[in-house]
Amino acid sequence: MKDFMLIFMSQSYESQGLSPDEMQARMGKWFTWQQKMAADGVVKNGNALHEQRRHISGPDRVVSDLAATGVKELVGGYYVVTARDLEHASEIAQGYPDYDLGGTVEIREVMVFDN
Amino acid sequence: MNLTPEQIEQRMGKWFAWNQKMETDGVRIKTGDALQDPVRVMSGTDRAITDTASPETKELIGGFYILTVNDLAEATKIAEDFPDYDLGSVVEIREIQVFDM
Amino acid sequence: MSETKVPLVDHLFRHQYGKMLAALTRIFGPSKLEIIEDAVQDTFIKAMMTWREGIPPNPEGWLMTAAKNRAIDLLRKLSAEEKRALKIDSGTTAIALGEVFLESEIEDAQLRMIFMACHPSLNPRDQIAFALKTISGFSSKEIASALLLKDETIKKRLVRARKSIASSDLEFKIPQGADLPSRLNRVLEVLYLIFNEGFHSGKKEILVRKDLCGEAMRLCQMLLKNSFTETPKTHALFGLMCFHAARMEGKLNEENEIIDLKNQDRSKWFGPLVIIGNQAMIKAVESGEYSTYHYEAAIAAEHLKAKTFEETDWSQIHNYYQQLYELQPTEFNLLNIAFVKMQLGKLEESKAILESFHPKDLEQRAYLYHGAFAEYHLLKNEKSKALNCLDEALKLVKNEAEKRYLEEKRESISIS
Repeated sequence: MKDFMLIFMSQSYESQGLSPDEMQARMGKWFTWQQKMAADGVVKNGNALHEQRRHISGPDRVVSDLAATGVKELVGGYYVVTARDLEHASEIAQGYPDYDLGGTVEIREVMVFDN
Repeated sequence: MNLTPEQIEQRMGKWFAWNQKMETDGVRIKTGDALQDPVRVMSGTDRAITDTASPETKELIGGFYILTVNDLAEATKIAEDFPDYDLGSVVEIREIQVFDM
Repeated sequence: MSETKVPLVDHLFRHQYGKMLAALTRIFGPSKLEIIEDAVQDTFIKAMMTWREGIPPNPEGWLMTAAKNRAIDLLRKLSAEEKRALKIDSGTTAIALGEVFLESEIEDAQLRMIFMACHPSLNPRDQIAFALKTISGFSSKEIASALLLKDETIKKRLVRARKSIASSDLEFKIPQGADLPSRLNRVLEVLYLIFNEGFHSGKKEILVRKDLCGEAMRLCQMLLKNSFTETPKTHALFGLMCFHAARMEGKLNEENEIIDLKNQDRSKWFGPLVIIGNQAMIKAVESGEYSTYHYEAAIAAEHLKAKTFEETDWSQIHNYYQQLYELQPTEFNLLNIAFVKMQLGKLEESKAILESFHPKDLEQRAYLYHGAFAEYHLLKNEKSKALNCLDEALKLVKNEAEKRYLEEKRESISIS
C-alpha cells in the first residue's frame, strides 16, 4: 500500500455565492464521502485551509499576500489516503463532491524515504 | 529540474539544516511530506483524467510542512529559511481551519 | 452516485440563515445589513466544512452559538462611537446578546425583517427579491430562477433595496397603532405574490415552485403566531394558500403539463391541506369582516368541495366573484366573472362583460382574454372563430406550460 495525497483545487466557497440550501446539500455530500472513506479505512489524515494566502518567493524572500477571490485553482484542502496504486487512489477521488463547481483533484503519491 | 548529483546532495543538506533549525527553535512540526512528480488531475462532472508524467508546470506542489506557530508572521519567518527560493520556488502559507468555536 | 440521507432537517440552513440574519440585524441595525450577510454566510461555510467530519448533535444550537460568536466578533470591530449608536450597554452586552438569540425573540426579529422587506420606501419589485433573500435565505441565483429573471436583475434589485433601507434609515421594528393595518396589508400582498410566483410559475421544476409556495405559507404562519399580525385577513390568506396548494399536484401531469380544472384528477388533491385551510377559515370569518382573501378562499373551497367539475356550484362561485369585484374592481376579476357566466350558460352576459374592457388591461395576462373568448365561441359552436382567438392568445402567451396547453386545445378543436 502507498500513500497518496488528494489535493482539492477550486474557487473558494466564499466566492461561489452558494445559497444556504446549496451549502447544506454540499455539506451532506462531503459527509457521505467522508463516511464512506472512513468505513473503507482509506483516509490517513486531511485538512481544510483558510482562504487567506501568503506567498514567499525569490532570493529576497518577497512576501505577498494574495486575494483568494476569483482564483480558479485555490488549494482548499487535502486528504492523504492509503491506496494500492494510482488507479485505486483515482477511484477514491471519484467521490470528491465539488466537480460540478469546477473543482479539480490532483492526485500525487507521497514519497517514502527509507533509510 | 536538472541538477547534478552533487548539487542534489548539497541541496539535501540545506533541507536538513532547515529542519534542524526549526526543531532547535522549538517550532512543532506536526507533519510533512514530499510528493512524487507524476501528477494526475481529475476534473469535471465526468471526472476526466489527465496524467502528466514530468510536469512542465512551473508551480508543482513538491511537498508541505504543517507547523504549529503563534501567527502568520511566525510562519512567514520560518518559511524564509526554505532553501529553494533561488530555483524559483515559492512557499504558500495557509492557515489550517480549526473547528472549535 | 446515490444520495445518502444526512440526519438534518430539509432546508435547515436556509431557515437558520433567516433567523440569524434577523437576530443580528436586531443587534446591529439595518444599516449594517451587508456586513451581517457576509458574517452569516461565513458561519455557514464554516458549518459546511466542519460538519463533513461529523454532524453535531444539536445542529441548530451549533449554528446559533456560531452566530452569537460572530456577533461578538463584529461588536469588537465596531468603533466606540458605533457601539454607542447601537444603544447596547457594554456592561450588559453579553446578557442582551443572549436574549436576542432566544427562540421567541428570534421570531420577533424575523417579523421585523418581514415588515422591513415590505416597507413602502422599497420599490415593490425589490420587496419580493429582498424578502426571499433576507427572510427565506434564497441566493440571488435561486431567486432569479424562481422568478424567471436574470441573476443580474435580482442582484441589482437587492442592492437597490439595501440602499433604500440605508438611505431612509428604516427602523427595525413591527409597526404599531395606526400604521399597522396598511403595513400589514402590504406584507400580505407580498406574501401572496411570492405564493403566486410559485403557484402559477411556468418554471418546469416542481420543486422550485413548491419552495416558493412553501416559503409564502411559512411566513404567513409566522404572522399568525404574533398577536398583532394575527388578523382575520392573515388567517384568510393562509387558508387561501392552503386551498390552492392542495391542488398543486393535481394541476400538473407527469410531464409537468398543465391540466385544466375540468380534467384534473381530483383524488390527487391533498386532503390534509384542505383541513388546515378550513381551520384557518373558521378563524378568518369570526369577526364578520371579509377581505379579498376571504372571497378568493371561498371560491377555491367551492372547487375543492365539488367531486367532479360538473358538480361545481357555479352560482355560488358567481356570488363570491361579484363580492370580490366590489372590493377589488379589476379586469382580471371581470374576466373570471365572464368565465363563470359561461359555465352558467349566460353566454351573452359573458360576452358583454368581456367587451366592456380591453385585453391590454390584463397586461401580461392578456392571452387569457383571448382564451376566454375562444371558450365563448366554442360554446356557441363557432369553431373557426374559436381558433382565431386561440391564435391571438398564442401570440401573447409567454409561459411555456400555458402555451403548450393552448396549443393542445387548438389541436383538439381542429381535428374534432
